[in-house]
Amino acid sequence: MTRFIYIIRELLRNLYRNPGTALGSLLSMTLLLLLLDLFWIAAGTSEKFYEGLVADLTMEIYLSESLSDTDLIDLSHEIEQLAIVNTVRYISKEEARRLLASQIGTDLLIGYDSLNPLPQSFLLTFKPGRLSLTELIAVEEQLLTMTGVDETEYSREWLEKVERTKGIILKVGLGLGLIIMLAALISLTNGIRVMTRARAVGFRQMLLQGASRSFVALPFLIEGFLMGGLSATFSWLVILYGSEKITFSRISIVYPTRYDIIDFCIVCAVLGLISGYLGIRKLLKV
Amino acid sequence: MADPIVELTNITYKNDAGGTVFKNLNLTLPVGRSAIITGSAGSGKTTLADLLVGRRFADSGTVKLFGKEMRKRKKRLIRQVRQKIGGVGGRFDLLPLLTVADNITLPLIITCARSKLRKERLRRALTEFSLLNQAALYPRFLTRVENMMVQLARATVANQPLIIIDEPLAGLDVKTYQRVLDYFIKVALSGRSMILLTAEPPQVTIPETDSFEIANGALL
Repeated sequence: MTRFIYIIRELLRNLYRNPGTALGSLLSMTLLLLLLDLFWIAAGTSEKFYEGLVADLTMEIYLSESLSDTDLIDLSHEIEQLAIVNTVRYISKEEARRLLASQIGTDLLIGYDSLNPLPQSFLLTFKPGRLSLTELIAVEEQLLTMTGVDETEYSREWLEKVERTKGIILKVGLGLGLIIMLAALISLTNGIRVMTRARAVGFRQMLLQGASRSFVALPFLIEGFLMGGLSATFSWLVILYGSEKITFSRISIVYPTRYDIIDFCIVCAVLGLISGYLGIRKLLKV
Repeated sequence: MADPIVELTNITYKNDAGGTVFKNLNLTLPVGRSAIITGSAGSGKTTLADLLVGRRFADSGTVKLFGKEMRKRKKRLIRQVRQKIGGVGGRFDLLPLLTVADNITLPLIITCARSKLRKERLRRALTEFSLLNQAALYPRFLTRVENMMVQLARATVANQPLIIIDEPLAGLDVKTYQRVLDYFIKVALSGRSMILLTAEPPQVTIPETDSFEIANGALL
Protein backbone atom coordinates (compact mmCIF):
# COMPACT_ATOMS: atom_id res chain seq x y z
CA MET A 1 0.00 0.00 0.00
CA THR A 2 1.62 3.24 -1.07
CA ARG A 3 1.08 6.58 0.60
CA PHE A 4 -1.19 7.61 -2.25
CA ILE A 5 -3.32 4.48 -1.98
CA TYR A 6 -3.40 4.87 1.78
CA ILE A 7 -4.74 8.43 1.43
CA ILE A 8 -7.40 7.42 -1.11
CA ARG A 9 -8.44 4.46 1.03
CA GLU A 10 -8.73 6.66 4.10
CA LEU A 11 -10.87 9.09 2.11
CA LEU A 12 -13.18 6.36 0.83
CA ARG A 13 -13.26 4.64 4.21
CA ASN A 14 -14.48 7.82 5.82
CA LEU A 15 -17.29 8.21 3.28
CA TYR A 16 -18.13 4.51 3.39
CA ARG A 17 -18.33 4.41 7.18
CA ASN A 18 -20.32 7.62 7.50
CA PRO A 19 -22.54 7.87 4.41
CA GLY A 20 -25.37 9.59 6.29
CA THR A 21 -23.17 12.30 7.74
CA ALA A 22 -21.38 12.81 4.43
CA LEU A 23 -24.65 13.06 2.52
CA GLY A 24 -26.11 15.36 5.18
CA SER A 25 -23.13 17.69 4.93
CA LEU A 26 -23.29 17.65 1.14
CA LEU A 27 -27.01 18.44 1.07
CA SER A 28 -26.87 21.19 3.67
CA MET A 29 -23.90 22.77 1.87
CA THR A 30 -25.76 22.53 -1.45
CA LEU A 31 -28.85 24.20 -0.02
CA LEU A 32 -26.85 27.00 1.58
CA LEU A 33 -24.91 27.62 -1.60
CA LEU A 34 -28.14 27.49 -3.61
CA LEU A 35 -29.39 30.36 -1.48
CA LEU A 36 -26.16 32.23 -2.12
CA ASP A 37 -26.47 31.60 -5.87
CA LEU A 38 -29.98 33.07 -5.82
CA PHE A 39 -28.74 36.22 -4.06
CA TRP A 40 -25.97 36.47 -6.60
CA ILE A 41 -28.49 36.25 -9.45
CA ALA A 42 -30.79 38.77 -7.71
CA ALA A 43 -27.90 41.22 -7.31
CA GLY A 44 -26.84 40.84 -10.96
CA THR A 45 -30.41 41.19 -12.19
CA SER A 46 -31.08 44.28 -10.09
CA GLU A 47 -27.85 45.82 -11.36
CA LYS A 48 -28.92 45.18 -14.95
CA PHE A 49 -32.38 46.53 -14.21
CA TYR A 50 -30.82 49.70 -12.79
CA GLU A 51 -28.61 50.09 -15.84
CA GLY A 52 -31.67 49.75 -18.06
CA LEU A 53 -33.49 52.42 -16.08
CA VAL A 54 -30.72 54.98 -16.19
CA ALA A 55 -29.89 54.26 -19.84
CA ASP A 56 -32.95 56.34 -20.85
CA LEU A 57 -32.13 59.18 -18.49
CA THR A 58 -31.85 62.64 -20.05
CA MET A 59 -30.88 66.04 -18.68
CA GLU A 60 -32.38 69.30 -19.81
CA ILE A 61 -30.24 72.44 -19.75
CA TYR A 62 -32.18 75.69 -19.89
CA LEU A 63 -30.32 78.49 -21.59
CA SER A 64 -30.47 82.25 -21.22
CA GLU A 65 -32.30 84.27 -23.85
CA SER A 66 -29.31 86.45 -24.63
CA LEU A 67 -27.14 83.73 -26.23
CA SER A 68 -26.24 84.32 -29.86
CA ASP A 69 -26.06 81.51 -32.45
CA THR A 70 -22.27 81.46 -32.14
CA ASP A 71 -22.50 81.23 -28.34
CA LEU A 72 -24.93 78.33 -28.70
CA ILE A 73 -22.57 76.45 -31.01
CA ASP A 74 -19.59 77.06 -28.69
CA LEU A 75 -21.57 75.98 -25.64
CA SER A 76 -22.78 72.86 -27.43
CA HIS A 77 -19.19 71.89 -28.26
CA GLU A 78 -18.11 72.56 -24.68
CA ILE A 79 -20.85 70.28 -23.32
CA GLU A 80 -20.01 67.52 -25.81
CA GLN A 81 -16.49 67.43 -24.35
CA LEU A 82 -17.80 66.22 -20.97
CA ALA A 83 -16.83 62.61 -20.39
CA ILE A 84 -20.20 60.95 -19.84
CA VAL A 85 -22.20 63.01 -22.35
CA ASN A 86 -23.32 61.04 -25.37
CA THR A 87 -25.43 63.47 -27.45
CA VAL A 88 -26.42 67.13 -27.21
CA ARG A 89 -29.60 68.23 -28.97
CA TYR A 90 -30.67 71.86 -29.25
CA ILE A 91 -34.35 72.63 -28.61
CA SER A 92 -35.45 76.09 -29.64
CA LYS A 93 -38.26 78.02 -27.92
CA GLU A 94 -40.58 77.13 -30.83
CA GLU A 95 -39.76 73.46 -30.67
CA ALA A 96 -40.25 73.53 -26.93
CA ARG A 97 -43.70 74.94 -27.48
CA ARG A 98 -44.50 72.26 -30.06
CA LEU A 99 -43.32 69.56 -27.67
CA LEU A 100 -45.43 70.99 -24.90
CA ALA A 101 -48.43 71.13 -27.17
CA SER A 102 -47.89 67.51 -28.15
CA GLN A 103 -47.84 66.57 -24.48
CA ILE A 104 -50.73 68.61 -23.06
CA GLY A 105 -52.75 69.37 -26.23
CA THR A 106 -53.39 72.68 -27.98
CA ASP A 107 -56.59 73.56 -26.10
CA LEU A 108 -54.75 74.75 -23.02
CA LEU A 109 -52.50 76.96 -25.14
CA ILE A 110 -55.32 78.96 -26.76
CA GLY A 111 -54.71 82.67 -26.10
CA TYR A 112 -50.97 82.17 -25.78
CA ASP A 113 -50.18 82.35 -29.51
CA SER A 114 -48.04 85.45 -29.21
CA LEU A 115 -46.55 84.54 -25.82
CA ASN A 116 -43.89 81.81 -25.36
CA PRO A 117 -42.27 81.78 -21.90
CA LEU A 118 -40.49 78.48 -22.57
CA PRO A 119 -36.68 78.83 -22.70
CA GLN A 120 -34.39 77.43 -25.36
CA SER A 121 -32.53 74.36 -24.10
CA PHE A 122 -30.14 71.51 -24.74
CA LEU A 123 -31.26 67.92 -24.22
CA LEU A 124 -28.40 65.64 -23.13
CA THR A 125 -28.21 61.88 -23.32
CA PHE A 126 -25.46 59.90 -21.58
CA LYS A 127 -23.11 57.14 -22.53
CA PRO A 128 -24.54 53.73 -21.60
CA GLY A 129 -23.02 51.87 -18.66
CA ARG A 130 -21.17 54.88 -17.29
CA LEU A 131 -23.89 56.62 -15.42
CA SER A 132 -24.11 57.14 -11.69
CA LEU A 133 -25.66 59.76 -9.50
CA THR A 134 -22.24 61.04 -8.38
CA GLU A 135 -21.16 61.56 -11.97
CA LEU A 136 -24.41 63.28 -12.84
CA ILE A 137 -24.04 65.68 -9.93
CA ALA A 138 -20.47 66.46 -11.01
CA VAL A 139 -21.64 67.14 -14.57
CA GLU A 140 -24.46 69.31 -13.32
CA GLU A 141 -22.02 71.38 -11.26
CA GLN A 142 -19.77 71.83 -14.28
CA LEU A 143 -22.69 72.84 -16.49
CA LEU A 144 -23.90 75.48 -14.05
CA THR A 145 -20.50 77.20 -14.19
CA MET A 146 -20.76 77.59 -17.98
CA THR A 147 -21.83 80.96 -19.37
CA GLY A 148 -25.38 80.91 -20.69
CA VAL A 149 -26.60 77.95 -18.62
CA ASP A 150 -29.46 79.09 -16.37
CA GLU A 151 -30.74 75.84 -14.93
CA THR A 152 -30.56 72.08 -15.29
CA GLU A 153 -33.22 69.48 -14.72
CA TYR A 154 -33.19 65.70 -14.47
CA SER A 155 -34.76 62.99 -12.33
CA ARG A 156 -32.34 63.42 -9.46
CA GLU A 157 -34.66 62.37 -6.64
CA TRP A 158 -35.81 59.30 -8.52
CA LEU A 159 -32.22 58.36 -9.25
CA GLU A 160 -31.28 58.84 -5.60
CA LYS A 161 -34.05 56.44 -4.56
CA VAL A 162 -33.02 53.86 -7.12
CA GLU A 163 -29.37 54.08 -6.07
CA ARG A 164 -30.28 53.80 -2.41
CA THR A 165 -32.38 50.72 -3.10
CA LYS A 166 -29.58 49.19 -5.15
CA GLY A 167 -27.12 49.89 -2.30
CA ILE A 168 -29.42 48.22 0.23
CA ILE A 169 -29.80 45.15 -1.99
CA LEU A 170 -26.03 44.96 -2.39
CA LYS A 171 -25.34 45.36 1.35
CA VAL A 172 -27.99 42.84 2.37
CA GLY A 173 -26.74 40.46 -0.31
CA LEU A 174 -23.15 40.80 0.88
CA GLY A 175 -24.12 40.38 4.53
CA LEU A 176 -26.29 37.36 3.83
CA GLY A 177 -23.62 35.97 1.52
CA LEU A 178 -21.05 36.14 4.31
CA ILE A 179 -23.45 34.54 6.78
CA ILE A 180 -24.25 31.77 4.31
CA MET A 181 -20.59 31.11 3.59
CA LEU A 182 -19.88 31.00 7.33
CA ALA A 183 -22.81 28.63 7.88
CA ALA A 184 -21.53 26.40 5.07
CA LEU A 185 -18.06 26.40 6.59
CA ILE A 186 -19.39 25.49 10.04
CA SER A 187 -21.73 22.85 8.64
CA LEU A 188 -18.98 21.06 6.74
CA THR A 189 -16.50 21.45 9.60
CA ASN A 190 -18.96 19.82 11.97
CA GLY A 191 -19.68 17.06 9.48
CA ILE A 192 -16.00 16.21 9.16
CA ARG A 193 -15.52 16.52 12.92
CA VAL A 194 -18.32 14.02 13.53
CA MET A 195 -16.92 11.66 10.91
CA THR A 196 -13.41 11.73 12.36
CA ARG A 197 -14.21 11.82 16.08
CA ALA A 198 -14.25 8.03 16.39
CA ARG A 199 -10.87 7.79 14.74
CA ALA A 200 -8.88 9.86 17.20
CA VAL A 201 -7.02 6.76 18.43
CA GLY A 202 -5.90 5.95 14.91
CA PHE A 203 -4.67 9.50 14.31
CA ARG A 204 -2.70 9.48 17.57
CA GLN A 205 -1.05 6.24 16.57
CA MET A 206 -0.17 7.55 13.14
CA LEU A 207 1.51 10.57 14.72
CA LEU A 208 3.34 8.37 17.24
CA GLN A 209 4.68 6.30 14.36
CA GLY A 210 6.20 9.48 12.94
CA ALA A 211 3.56 10.41 10.38
CA SER A 212 3.36 14.09 9.60
CA ARG A 213 0.22 16.06 10.39
CA SER A 214 -0.31 16.71 6.71
CA PHE A 215 -0.13 12.97 5.95
CA VAL A 216 -2.82 12.24 8.53
CA ALA A 217 -4.94 15.22 7.56
CA LEU A 218 -4.67 14.97 3.77
CA PRO A 219 -7.58 12.54 3.20
CA PHE A 220 -9.88 14.83 5.14
CA LEU A 221 -8.63 17.95 3.42
CA ILE A 222 -9.33 16.28 0.07
CA GLU A 223 -12.73 15.23 1.35
CA GLY A 224 -13.55 18.81 2.38
CA PHE A 225 -12.28 20.08 -0.96
CA LEU A 226 -14.47 17.64 -2.88
CA MET A 227 -17.53 18.29 -0.72
CA GLY A 228 -17.19 22.06 -1.14
CA GLY A 229 -16.64 21.83 -4.89
CA LEU A 230 -19.42 19.29 -5.42
CA SER A 231 -21.92 21.25 -3.32
CA ALA A 232 -21.25 24.40 -5.35
CA THR A 233 -21.52 22.46 -8.61
CA PHE A 234 -24.79 20.80 -7.56
CA SER A 235 -26.26 24.13 -6.48
CA TRP A 236 -25.54 25.65 -9.91
CA LEU A 237 -26.86 22.58 -11.70
CA VAL A 238 -30.15 23.02 -9.83
CA ILE A 239 -30.25 26.72 -10.78
CA LEU A 240 -29.42 26.05 -14.41
CA TYR A 241 -32.03 23.29 -14.58
CA GLY A 242 -34.58 25.65 -13.02
CA SER A 243 -33.69 28.42 -15.47
CA GLU A 244 -34.57 26.15 -18.37
CA LYS A 245 -37.89 25.20 -16.85
CA ILE A 246 -39.05 28.58 -15.55
CA THR A 247 -39.06 31.69 -17.73
CA PHE A 248 -39.78 35.27 -16.75
CA SER A 249 -41.43 37.47 -19.38
CA ARG A 250 -41.25 40.84 -17.62
CA ILE A 251 -37.74 40.63 -16.26
CA SER A 252 -34.59 39.47 -17.90
CA ILE A 253 -32.68 37.36 -15.35
CA VAL A 254 -28.93 37.88 -15.36
CA TYR A 255 -26.86 34.77 -14.63
CA PRO A 256 -23.15 34.88 -13.82
CA THR A 257 -20.84 33.85 -16.63
CA ARG A 258 -19.54 30.30 -16.90
CA TYR A 259 -16.12 31.46 -15.74
CA ASP A 260 -17.63 33.19 -12.69
CA ILE A 261 -19.43 29.95 -11.80
CA ILE A 262 -16.22 27.93 -12.17
CA ASP A 263 -14.40 30.46 -9.97
CA PHE A 264 -17.20 30.20 -7.42
CA CYS A 265 -16.95 26.41 -7.37
CA ILE A 266 -13.19 26.63 -6.84
CA VAL A 267 -13.66 29.12 -3.99
CA CYS A 268 -16.21 26.76 -2.40
CA ALA A 269 -13.80 23.85 -2.80
CA VAL A 270 -11.09 25.86 -1.01
CA LEU A 271 -13.66 26.71 1.65
CA GLY A 272 -14.28 22.97 1.99
CA LEU A 273 -10.56 22.36 2.33
CA ILE A 274 -10.43 24.89 5.18
CA SER A 275 -13.44 23.12 6.74
CA GLY A 276 -11.57 19.83 6.47
CA TYR A 277 -8.62 21.30 8.31
CA LEU A 278 -10.81 22.88 10.99
CA GLY A 279 -12.68 19.60 11.40
CA ILE A 280 -9.58 17.54 12.08
CA ARG A 281 -7.30 20.17 13.63
CA LYS A 282 -7.90 19.21 17.23
CA LEU A 283 -7.20 15.55 16.57
CA LEU A 284 -3.72 16.25 15.30
CA LYS A 285 -2.14 17.03 18.63
CA VAL A 286 0.00 14.34 20.18
CA MET B 1 32.40 7.62 19.44
CA ALA B 2 28.73 7.50 18.44
CA ASP B 3 26.17 9.54 20.35
CA PRO B 4 24.19 7.58 22.92
CA ILE B 5 20.86 6.46 21.51
CA VAL B 6 19.10 7.87 24.58
CA GLU B 7 20.48 10.52 26.88
CA LEU B 8 18.33 11.98 29.63
CA THR B 9 20.06 14.59 31.76
CA ASN B 10 18.71 16.03 35.01
CA ILE B 11 15.09 15.60 33.97
CA THR B 12 12.50 17.22 36.18
CA TYR B 13 8.86 16.76 35.34
CA LYS B 14 5.66 17.61 37.15
CA ASN B 15 2.30 16.21 36.15
CA ASP B 16 -0.78 18.32 35.42
CA ALA B 17 -1.80 18.21 39.09
CA GLY B 18 1.59 19.64 40.08
CA GLY B 19 2.97 16.44 41.59
CA THR B 20 6.63 15.70 40.94
CA VAL B 21 7.08 12.69 38.69
CA PHE B 22 10.79 13.00 37.93
CA LYS B 23 13.47 14.85 39.81
CA ASN B 24 17.00 14.89 38.40
CA LEU B 25 16.41 11.75 36.42
CA ASN B 26 19.41 10.63 34.35
CA LEU B 27 19.73 7.82 31.82
CA THR B 28 22.32 7.15 29.15
CA LEU B 29 21.85 4.29 26.74
CA PRO B 30 24.73 3.70 24.32
CA VAL B 31 23.96 2.36 20.84
CA GLY B 32 23.23 -1.35 20.98
CA ARG B 33 22.54 -1.49 24.69
CA SER B 34 19.14 -1.98 26.25
CA ALA B 35 17.53 -1.06 29.55
CA ILE B 36 14.95 -2.69 31.72
CA ILE B 37 13.24 -0.05 33.83
CA THR B 38 11.08 -1.35 36.60
CA GLY B 39 8.74 0.59 38.78
CA SER B 40 5.48 0.23 40.62
CA ALA B 41 2.21 1.43 39.12
CA GLY B 42 2.18 5.23 38.96
CA SER B 43 5.94 5.52 39.25
CA GLY B 44 6.20 7.24 35.87
CA LYS B 45 7.09 4.49 33.39
CA THR B 46 4.54 5.59 30.78
CA THR B 47 5.45 9.22 31.39
CA LEU B 48 9.05 8.31 30.67
CA ALA B 49 7.94 6.68 27.40
CA ASP B 50 6.00 9.86 26.60
CA LEU B 51 9.13 11.96 27.17
CA LEU B 52 11.09 9.69 24.85
CA VAL B 53 8.62 9.96 21.97
CA GLY B 54 8.05 13.69 22.37
CA ARG B 55 4.52 13.35 23.63
CA ARG B 56 5.42 15.26 26.78
CA PHE B 57 8.32 17.59 27.49
CA ALA B 58 10.47 17.92 30.60
CA ASP B 59 10.12 20.99 32.80
CA SER B 60 13.90 21.12 33.01
CA GLY B 61 16.82 19.02 31.83
CA THR B 62 17.46 17.67 28.36
CA VAL B 63 16.10 14.70 26.46
CA LYS B 64 18.34 13.61 23.61
CA LEU B 65 17.55 10.77 21.23
CA PHE B 66 19.99 9.75 18.53
CA GLY B 67 22.08 12.74 19.57
CA LYS B 68 19.25 15.24 18.90
CA GLU B 69 17.59 17.24 21.62
CA MET B 70 13.81 16.87 21.74
CA ARG B 71 12.09 20.20 22.09
CA LYS B 72 8.43 21.08 21.81
CA ARG B 73 8.87 23.38 18.85
CA LYS B 74 10.98 20.99 16.83
CA LYS B 75 8.06 19.19 15.21
CA ARG B 76 10.04 17.92 12.26
CA LEU B 77 12.77 16.49 14.49
CA ILE B 78 10.20 14.82 16.72
CA ARG B 79 8.63 13.23 13.67
CA GLN B 80 11.98 11.97 12.44
CA VAL B 81 12.84 10.56 15.88
CA ARG B 82 9.46 8.83 16.13
CA GLN B 83 10.10 7.12 12.81
CA LYS B 84 13.17 5.50 14.39
CA ILE B 85 11.29 4.23 17.42
CA GLY B 86 9.20 1.10 17.50
CA GLY B 87 6.54 1.14 20.19
CA VAL B 88 4.78 -1.75 21.91
CA GLY B 89 2.11 -1.62 24.60
CA GLY B 90 1.06 1.44 26.58
CA ARG B 91 0.39 4.29 24.17
CA PHE B 92 1.27 2.25 21.12
CA ASP B 93 -2.03 0.72 20.06
CA LEU B 94 -2.85 -0.68 16.68
CA LEU B 95 -4.91 1.33 14.22
CA PRO B 96 -8.38 -0.20 14.48
CA LEU B 97 -9.37 0.48 10.87
CA LEU B 98 -6.26 -1.06 9.31
CA THR B 99 -5.70 -4.77 8.84
CA VAL B 100 -2.83 -6.57 10.56
CA ALA B 101 -0.77 -6.39 7.37
CA ASP B 102 -1.43 -2.66 6.96
CA ASN B 103 -0.69 -2.02 10.63
CA ILE B 104 2.64 -3.81 10.38
CA THR B 105 3.72 -1.95 7.24
CA LEU B 106 2.54 1.44 8.49
CA PRO B 107 6.05 2.61 9.52
CA LEU B 108 7.24 1.74 6.01
CA ILE B 109 4.33 3.59 4.38
CA ILE B 110 5.08 6.64 6.47
CA THR B 111 8.73 6.61 5.44
CA CYS B 112 7.79 6.02 1.77
CA ALA B 113 9.61 2.68 1.51
CA ARG B 114 9.45 0.98 -1.87
CA SER B 115 6.72 -1.54 -2.59
CA LYS B 116 9.14 -4.46 -3.01
CA LEU B 117 10.81 -3.76 0.32
CA ARG B 118 7.45 -3.41 2.07
CA LYS B 119 6.23 -6.74 0.77
CA GLU B 120 9.47 -8.48 1.68
CA ARG B 121 9.55 -7.06 5.21
CA LEU B 122 5.88 -7.80 5.73
CA ARG B 123 6.31 -11.43 4.73
CA ARG B 124 9.29 -11.76 7.03
CA ALA B 125 7.47 -10.15 9.97
CA LEU B 126 4.33 -12.23 9.49
CA THR B 127 6.42 -15.39 9.44
CA GLU B 128 8.60 -14.39 12.38
CA PHE B 129 5.64 -13.59 14.60
CA SER B 130 3.40 -16.41 13.34
CA LEU B 131 0.81 -14.02 12.00
CA LEU B 132 0.37 -15.35 8.47
CA ASN B 133 -3.20 -16.43 9.16
CA GLN B 134 -4.09 -13.11 10.75
CA ALA B 135 -2.70 -10.82 8.04
CA ALA B 136 -6.09 -9.81 6.66
CA LEU B 137 -7.83 -9.47 10.03
CA TYR B 138 -8.67 -6.25 11.80
CA PRO B 139 -7.31 -5.73 15.34
CA ARG B 140 -10.71 -6.24 16.94
CA PHE B 141 -10.59 -9.89 15.89
CA LEU B 142 -7.18 -10.55 17.49
CA THR B 143 -6.43 -12.02 20.89
CA ARG B 144 -4.38 -9.96 23.33
CA VAL B 145 -1.26 -11.98 22.56
CA GLU B 146 -1.77 -11.67 18.81
CA ASN B 147 -2.28 -7.97 19.25
CA MET B 148 1.03 -7.72 21.05
CA MET B 149 2.77 -9.78 18.37
CA VAL B 150 1.48 -7.39 15.71
CA GLN B 151 2.82 -4.47 17.72
CA LEU B 152 6.18 -6.20 18.01
CA ALA B 153 6.18 -6.87 14.27
CA ARG B 154 5.35 -3.21 13.60
CA ALA B 155 8.07 -2.08 16.00
CA THR B 156 10.75 -3.94 14.06
CA VAL B 157 9.54 -3.95 10.47
CA ALA B 158 11.41 -0.77 9.55
CA ASN B 159 14.55 -1.84 11.44
CA GLN B 160 13.86 0.84 14.02
CA PRO B 161 17.04 1.23 16.08
CA LEU B 162 15.13 1.77 19.35
CA ILE B 163 12.15 -0.16 20.64
CA ILE B 164 10.14 1.06 23.61
CA ILE B 165 8.07 -1.65 25.22
CA ASP B 166 5.58 -0.67 27.91
CA GLU B 167 4.42 -3.47 30.24
CA PRO B 168 5.12 -6.34 27.85
CA LEU B 169 4.96 -9.28 30.19
CA ALA B 170 1.92 -8.65 32.35
CA GLY B 171 -0.74 -11.33 32.10
CA LEU B 172 1.04 -13.56 29.59
CA ASP B 173 0.82 -17.33 29.77
CA VAL B 174 4.05 -19.23 30.33
CA LYS B 175 4.50 -20.22 26.71
CA THR B 176 3.94 -16.72 25.34
CA TYR B 177 6.03 -15.23 28.15
CA GLN B 178 8.96 -17.42 27.09
CA ARG B 179 8.41 -16.62 23.45
CA VAL B 180 8.39 -12.87 24.11
CA LEU B 181 11.51 -13.13 26.24
CA ASP B 182 13.25 -15.08 23.49
CA TYR B 183 12.34 -12.32 21.14
CA PHE B 184 13.76 -9.67 23.50
CA ILE B 185 17.02 -11.58 23.72
CA LYS B 186 17.11 -11.79 19.94
CA VAL B 187 16.57 -8.03 19.62
CA ALA B 188 19.23 -7.32 22.26
CA LEU B 189 21.73 -9.46 20.40
CA SER B 190 20.85 -7.89 17.05
CA GLY B 191 22.51 -4.63 18.04
CA ARG B 192 19.28 -2.68 18.42
CA SER B 193 18.37 -0.93 21.66
CA MET B 194 15.37 -1.67 23.75
CA ILE B 195 13.76 0.04 26.70
CA LEU B 196 11.53 -2.30 28.65
CA LEU B 197 9.20 -0.52 31.04
CA THR B 198 7.70 -3.04 33.38
CA ALA B 199 6.36 -3.54 36.88
CA GLU B 200 7.94 -6.97 37.16
CA PRO B 201 11.48 -7.59 35.87
CA PRO B 202 11.89 -10.56 33.50
CA GLN B 203 12.95 -13.81 35.14
CA VAL B 204 15.88 -14.36 32.79
CA THR B 205 18.89 -12.24 32.00
CA ILE B 206 18.74 -10.37 28.73
CA PRO B 207 22.21 -9.77 27.24
CA GLU B 208 23.57 -6.25 26.64
CA THR B 209 20.96 -4.92 29.03
CA ASP B 210 21.18 -2.73 32.14
CA SER B 211 18.53 -2.76 34.82
CA PHE B 212 17.13 0.33 36.55
CA GLU B 213 14.38 1.07 38.95
CA ILE B 214 12.30 4.22 39.10
CA ALA B 215 12.03 5.35 42.69
CA ASN B 216 11.26 8.80 44.05
CA GLY B 217 11.40 10.28 40.58
CA ALA B 218 14.91 9.10 39.79
CA LEU B 219 16.52 6.04 38.24
CA LEU B 220 18.47 3.85 40.60
